[in-house]
Amino acid sequence: MRIDSLILRTAVRLVLPLTLLFAIYAALKGHNGPGGGFIAGLITAVGLCTYRMAFGQRAFFRLLPTHPRWLVFAGLSVAVGVAVVPLLLGEPLLRSGSITLHLGGEGLHLVSAMAFDLGVLLVVVGVAIGMITRLGEELDP
Amino acid sequence: MEPVSPTLVLAAVGAPVVAGLATLLLPWGRTSLRVLLATCGPLASLLFLGAHLRRYGVASNEEGTTAIGWVPSLHLDLGFLVDGLATFFALLVASVGVLIVLHARAYFGDDGTSLARFFPALGFFTSSMLGVVLADHLLLTVLFWEATSIGSFFLIGWDRDDETAVKRATQAFVTTGLGGLSLLGGVLLLGDATGSWRWSELVAGAADIGSGGTIVAAFVLIFIGAASKSAQWPFHYWLPGAMLAPTPVSAFLHSATMVKAGVFLLGRLLPVFGLLSIWLPVVVVFGAVTMLLGAVLALQQHDLKRIFAYTTVSQLGLFVCMYGLGGATDGHGGAAIDWDLSQIASHALYKAPLFLIAGALAHRVGARRLPELFGLWRRRVPGARLLVVVLLAAAYALAGGPGTVSFVAKEMFFGAVHHAAGSRPLLVIVGAMAVLTAMCNVAIAVRLAATVFGWRTGVGDEGTVPAGGEGQGRARDRWGALLWLPAAGLVAFQYVGGLVPPLWNSAFRRIEVHVNDVAFADGLPWPWEPFLHPGVPLAMSVAAIVLGIALGCSSRWRGEVTDVHDRIYPGSYRLVLGQGHRAFHTVQTGRLRNYLVLMFAMLLLSISWAAWIDPSMLRLPDGVVPFESVTGLLLGAVVCAAAIALPLVMERVVRVMVLGASGFAVVGLYLVYQAPDLALTQLMFEIISVILFLLVLRLLPRPDRRPRISPAPRLVMAALVGITIGWMTLLAGHAAEQRNEDAATLGAFFEEHSLEGSELTNGRGGEGRNIVNVILVDFRGFDTLGEITVLATAALGVWSMLPGRRRHEDDEDGGSETSEQATSAVEAGP
Repeated sequence: MRIDSLILRTAVRLVLPLTLLFAIYAALKGHNGPGGGFIAGLITAVGLCTYRMAFGQRAFFRLLPTHPRWLVFAGLSVAVGVAVVPLLLGEPLLRSGSITLHLGGEGLHLVSAMAFDLGVLLVVVGVAIGMITRLGEELDP
Repeated sequence: MEPVSPTLVLAAVGAPVVAGLATLLLPWGRTSLRVLLATCGPLASLLFLGAHLRRYGVASNEEGTTAIGWVPSLHLDLGFLVDGLATFFALLVASVGVLIVLHARAYFGDDGTSLARFFPALGFFTSSMLGVVLADHLLLTVLFWEATSIGSFFLIGWDRDDETAVKRATQAFVTTGLGGLSLLGGVLLLGDATGSWRWSELVAGAADIGSGGTIVAAFVLIFIGAASKSAQWPFHYWLPGAMLAPTPVSAFLHSATMVKAGVFLLGRLLPVFGLLSIWLPVVVVFGAVTMLLGAVLALQQHDLKRIFAYTTVSQLGLFVCMYGLGGATDGHGGAAIDWDLSQIASHALYKAPLFLIAGALAHRVGARRLPELFGLWRRRVPGARLLVVVLLAAAYALAGGPGTVSFVAKEMFFGAVHHAAGSRPLLVIVGAMAVLTAMCNVAIAVRLAATVFGWRTGVGDEGTVPAGGEGQGRARDRWGALLWLPAAGLVAFQYVGGLVPPLWNSAFRRIEVHVNDVAFADGLPWPWEPFLHPGVPLAMSVAAIVLGIALGCSSRWRGEVTDVHDRIYPGSYRLVLGQGHRAFHTVQTGRLRNYLVLMFAMLLLSISWAAWIDPSMLRLPDGVVPFESVTGLLLGAVVCAAAIALPLVMERVVRVMVLGASGFAVVGLYLVYQAPDLALTQLMFEIISVILFLLVLRLLPRPDRRPRISPAPRLVMAALVGITIGWMTLLAGHAAEQRNEDAATLGAFFEEHSLEGSELTNGRGGEGRNIVNVILVDFRGFDTLGEITVLATAALGVWSMLPGRRRHEDDEDGGSETSEQATSAVEAGP
């Protein structure tokens, strides 16, 4: 499905980078403020879907030069990896760890749950985009 | 006593599957190397078992090995029991396994693909079979038992393009699989009732197992499992059906190993349940019926593999009967069972060769049916005479002719029946059935010989021989000898044991469990000894042989019959599918309206039930402030207005917008009550659902403007549901306040632990300030992991069931097209 509108195309060109930036912000901020992998994934998916509406399937796949299933695969692998690594270290499944990086100023606190969140993000983006593009394909051959 | 380590046994169990899978790593063409590697699997099992036995000897059946912990909470550990019974079966499986690998090389010829597929499946099956017989833990037995079902499914349905083969494989799998479920149920009951989850413990405590209802139920369930695996009436239909498998598979699974799993299990159970009063009648009746039925059906078949399949069924019935008689006592107080393992071995030693030769004949001569084999001896087919010699040698053993182990085995069975009948006169019937069975076996052998030699009493005549039947066999290759060599090797043991019994006795005396000296004082006798001490068993044998020869030469029962039981499976399969179809269409009307009515009705019903039990649900909770927030109230009004407006609007696009309005109002509500995470999520969902709606709106048919159902009942229903759910939400929101203030709530716990830990959590916190997210990725991270897995699986389902047209792969010139479309759109636009 594609909406032919110059206004939409121009607007999306401007808005998409902002959307993605906001998604990254939401993903990273998620552990301490509103946001998180799930929300960030939805934001990304919404941004990419509007891009697809404005520019069509082909342009969309130039932007994302792979089948969404690889996003799902990568996301699930990351999440499972984060879940399983503690097992190898003799800890229970999904036990989280954290490090604080001192790069000047306030220390940067990194929790392994953030990597898990990243996995969730990738899965959500992959599934949402995959289903919507698939439906779109059904509609305009 | 030194503890027995399970490592060697574990290695023996694992070796075949490891070797089988390792053959997958070989390059495609290396057939010889592949065969070599595949042979190493069962060979290694033999070596490991040998090493174990050398070190620890054959355990009595009360001493299992120590266990390697696996899932101790489920009583499932890797412990093994290497007693005589297990040793015998394991050695049988592994050594026949080696021969089957070699035979498969000759059978599949130079077909590298088939061999590459075959060996991993065979290795998996061999390993699971070894596991069944060696396992000491009840659930470990069940586990391996199921694995043999799965392995046999792959092997029976070997020819993936043959629809019948696949159907038969499913039939075998469903039948044995249902038996497996029954076995699981029985084992769980047994373990729960006795508290011991190892066969060795059960055998040791068999005396005080009692005969309560649970124990009897456990026995019956386990017996159903064993009967389905060992093709006992009325489950026997799957075994002849499974004959579509390649011959190496038939020889391995359906003569030597898998079908014996049930017999093995009965051998395991005999010391545990043997004293139950129900043991003897149940086991003996099913065994005896199967025994006679199989023999009668075998006599009336023309396809070699089907003949041997039905004789296998018959023989399995005999073994089951034999273990059933183990529950009776003979005149001297011992169980009426003697040298049972020799009897089982004897069967494997002639039945596997029969199958192998049937396959070799199909391979060389291109014929497997009796009329086509008529006069084979006189035809000039290269190598056929050798096959005929081995075939007849094995058939002689099938008939139980003197000089073979099989003859003595039959004497022993007759002896056991005779002795048991001393105290239970009804068993005379079983004795008569046994004689009839032996008679049929003799007749089969006689008829087989008459056919291949082209005698008048054979099946078929010169006219039934296919023209040019000689040249159909594939060209001889240098592995051709493997077609008959394994069979000849196996059958040789029949004669070695029969003619020089001390050799056999010295091998078996160490592992035989039941040595009661019923028939013969000291193992297998010299061939002439039975004739020196004639008794009832000898008379039964002679009667069987005389009658059998007469029947074999007569013209009765020569046609081919179909077993009526063959209809059981297709019939019940159709019944299940048909009724399932009907039930499905009754419930699944395909109308969203009906589903919603059903779901809401259930909801209303269950909530009213709950309210009936606990009338306090109908009271307004304390502390409800109706006008807490004016903004919230206004937003709520928007939601309500949108909901009321929704059915009144006809245009679909407008409907989507109205729905969106209510959604965005909910977003506002979340913001008012300070739930930014929820608000963000809801927002994104609203956007995505609008996109999805716009996508599918075009696919919908034109709206039907004349509602056929009067709106009044639906309005009532809607109002009821709305009020109930609203009320429940109100109650849920105030549930915490309703409760005792001191009680800790989950919310409070999360609030306290999301950042820092406490004693309750061993000092570990979620290290985040956003409680919602910490809950999602930490407190209930496992749930989230499951959820994204479900999500991914759903997406995979969409992609695999609606495979896309992969347009992004041919989008080389997509850019110019897009811009063209864009310009045309601009021109066409208003």
